[in-house]
Amino acid sequence: MKLIKSIVRPNKVDEVKNALEKLQISGMTVTEVRGHGKQKGHTAIYRGQEYNVSLLPKMEIEVVVPDAMVSDAVKAITEAARTGEIGDGRIFVIPVGESYKIRTGEREV
Amino acid sequence: MIAMSEPRSPSADAPPDPRSARRARIDAARAELSAATERGDGGRQALRQYSHRMDAMVQQLFAEAGPLAQPVGVFALGGYGRRQLCLHSDIDLLILFAGSIGPSDERFLHAFLNPIWDLGLTIGHHVREVSEGSDVGGDNPEFLLALTDARPVVGDATLLDQFSGGTEATSTAVRTLEALKGLIAARHARFNDTLYQLEPDLKESPGGLRDLFAALTIAKLTDPALLGQGGSGPRALDDAEEFLLRVRSILHLEAKRHHNVLSHELQERAAERLGYPGSTPRQQVERLMGDYFRHARAIDRSLRWALKSAPAPVGHNLVRAADGIRFVDVRAAADRPETWLAAFQAALDNDCGVSDDMLASIQQHAGRFRADDFTPTSAHRDALLRFLKPRQGLYAQLSEMHDVGLLGQMFPEFKAISCRVVRDFYHKYTVDEHTLLTIRNLERLTGAGPERERFARLLGELDAPELLVLALLFHDVGKWRDDDHHVESARMARQMFDRMRLDDHARATVEFLVVEHLKMSVAAFRRDTEDPEIVRQFAALVGVEERLKMLCLVTLADVEAVGRETLTPWREELLWRLYVDTYNHLTLSYGDEVINGGQSATSELVRNRPPDLDGQDIEAFLRGLPRRYLQLFSPVAIYSHVRRSRHLETDSLEAWLEQQADGWELTVITHDKPFLFSNISGVLSSYGMDILRGFAFTKPDGLVVDMFRFTDEERFLELNPEGVAKVIKRLEDVIAGRTDPAVRLKGREEGALRRKLPGLAPVVHCDNESSRRYTIVEIVAENALGLLYRLSRAMSESGCDVDLVLIATEGRRAIDTFHLTRQGQKLSADQQRELTDNLLRVLEGSP
Repeated sequence: MKLIKSIVRPNKVDEVKNALEKLQISGMTVTEVRGHGKQKGHTAIYRGQEYNVSLLPKMEIEVVVPDAMVSDAVKAITEAARTGEIGDGRIFVIPVGESYKIRTGEREV
Repeated sequence: MIAMSEPRSPSADAPPDPRSARRARIDAARAELSAATERGDGGRQALRQYSHRMDAMVQQLFAEAGPLAQPVGVFALGGYGRRQLCLHSDIDLLILFAGSIGPSDERFLHAFLNPIWDLGLTIGHHVREVSEGSDVGGDNPEFLLALTDARPVVGDATLLDQFSGGTEATSTAVRTLEALKGLIAARHARFNDTLYQLEPDLKESPGGLRDLFAALTIAKLTDPALLGQGGSGPRALDDAEEFLLRVRSILHLEAKRHHNVLSHELQERAAERLGYPGSTPRQQVERLMGDYFRHARAIDRSLRWALKSAPAPVGHNLVRAADGIRFVDVRAAADRPETWLAAFQAALDNDCGVSDDMLASIQQHAGRFRADDFTPTSAHRDALLRFLKPRQGLYAQLSEMHDVGLLGQMFPEFKAISCRVVRDFYHKYTVDEHTLLTIRNLERLTGAGPERERFARLLGELDAPELLVLALLFHDVGKWRDDDHHVESARMARQMFDRMRLDDHARATVEFLVVEHLKMSVAAFRRDTEDPEIVRQFAALVGVEERLKMLCLVTLADVEAVGRETLTPWREELLWRLYVDTYNHLTLSYGDEVINGGQSATSELVRNRPPDLDGQDIEAFLRGLPRRYLQLFSPVAIYSHVRRSRHLETDSLEAWLEQQADGWELTVITHDKPFLFSNISGVLSSYGMDILRGFAFTKPDGLVVDMFRFTDEERFLELNPEGVAKVIKRLEDVIAGRTDPAVRLKGREEGALRRKLPGLAPVVHCDNESSRRYTIVEIVAENALGLLYRLSRAMSESGCDVDLVLIATEGRRAIDTFHLTRQGQKLSADQQRELTDNLLRVLEGSP
């Protein structure tokens, strides 16, 4: 079981969700986040004055999938979120030891 | 009471002489009052009867005075107005003419007034035109006060309402009360501020008739029930008034003139006439004076109470009481719905609420009126727009108006969404409350902290923020239906435009905001705003910065009103980034987007052209201008530009000045030449004009279209009939090189530089990236007279061609964006550095 954490452009969330749903992955957590990658944001100019936009708005999508589905899920996310430009985001795959359903206390390994 | 005897004719055959008949009538009326006074009955009833007789005489003289050239009304003022005319009192009249007073009106006045003088009566008359109502009172507080007792006697009684209508400004009641307080203080000072005078003046002394009328006037202006809530009480005042009037009548009768001082000698006569008991005159007088001081104390106590307790007048028929804003005369207000909005405006101005009584009255009566009844005149419609300017408390007042049914009567379209439930995943409130919350979000920006400062600044920069509130009020009214609510909202808004008689610009702005109110949130939250094409498309939708700012604020307010958690800092950031990118596109990249024919807007202009214009002329004029030009001018203005440019000689110019609601507008069409822009701005500055907004467009063929919006602080254009012609002539001379604007400007500039305010560090930013063709120089600096002239001159002196300019002023800041080339090319890095240094020297006031 793996946690796939994707940081994507805000406008790509719907496309990523649709791609994951096609793989029957429906449970997910979407969070508004701000951050920067290697390019460390950029400089913007407003009325002649420069200001730093160091933290860029992004969306974080978290899904937990069986090990066997990880590569399909990563592929689906990558294809859905890609524009080819700097700032397309990142995908992190993190091992999950165990998980519990809070309502029933049921444990999944 | 003695019945008035009819005058007898001198003979049965001859008609009675009108003069003799009048004399006989007035003598009979005076005899009637004298007889009552001799009996000690010269109080209210006798004076009322005498006033009534005088009314009849005035009415007769009015009828006999000849034909009227225009509507005229005669009104009784002061004691006569209160029907308390004493035997030798002045007859105070206000004669109102509907229009300007001409020779025939003066003949009428002589014919009307001379017979009264002939009768030996003293007249205090004021002759006014209705239009003078707005000037009343400034230097004549007595007249302002006398108007509170004005009573129609004969003629057109409606003229008084029209005359007073001019004095219905918010401050009139306040001014009247202040005038009254001033007069009371001055009068009391003359009597050493004590009512215990051995020989009192019944009218003027503290505790006398003037004090009584002052207390009644305060109650009339602020709260009719006031004198029943404290002081001596209404009954004691009635008794005091009757006593003083009876004694005063005796004084007039005994003195045979207008005499109000109760001297020692007259005290004995009055005591005797009023039948005071006592074996000696001294005992009788002591009892009379005992009564006098008792009544004077009662009046004094009530006046002090009134002065201390009266609610503060805050407008016509409006006061601020402990429980909020109230009508003074509730019954009169119930039939005048056009006055209701003023109560909510007063609540806003005084940072309080509207009283529950008043809200109940409005709730009871609101349903009787149609939307137009609330705003019957342009002044009322303007007042409504002023009311809608975002400020602290607006949401609370609009909510109260909605709760009592007033908002729905004023805007019937809003009624359609009252308590309307639309079920979706996001919205947490009914549609009407969501709408009002959008306005609360906007008003909160007016006191926003640093976290919202950037959006608050946008709100502060808007020319007409009330249109934003109007758009928010209507943005969701179409949700009474289930589909395409923005289309339906726009349809319903157009009904309101007609009722409110909004001008074309306001209509277009509000309709745009209503129709497009979802577009910015879609672009910001669901599109890739880092894609320049998305920004370009959005910039094309908004067209100009003002609309961008408005749509940004509508979006912010709308998203935040969906639910408490909807507008996260993350979303705010996305919205702001789209705003900045679009703003930069509009101000920095517009030079690359020129009209090249074949565009739908151009085709439409050609198709709808007036008969005197050729389609090719229109296309030739537009070709090469930035597309932005089409957003800035109406088709009518564009056709005018085409006409003026058609036969323009190389060295000539077309320039015209037009007065606008907020200042003046100069438009210049000519052919480009060095220093052109700086010369035009220099001429305006040389007359002290403060340039606030504008632009300059230069086409590749050299045709220039410049427009400057400015304020004329010294009122040169207003005060000088030839002012407009003089400015245009100077412009022609300067552009033709016959004179230099610097000569006239020098003195003014030196003064302006001396007055330069510290604190705003100037910014000069050169940009070679945003435009394919131009180097863009953005300058943000403290606004100052001649700033534009000095900057553009420095650019020209550096060898630059000033091709395009956007001029904006936001508060103290001038924000100017210049598109420059040098010999047809962008500026090199060295040239940019040199220019920046030159401009900074200019901004810092160095030579």
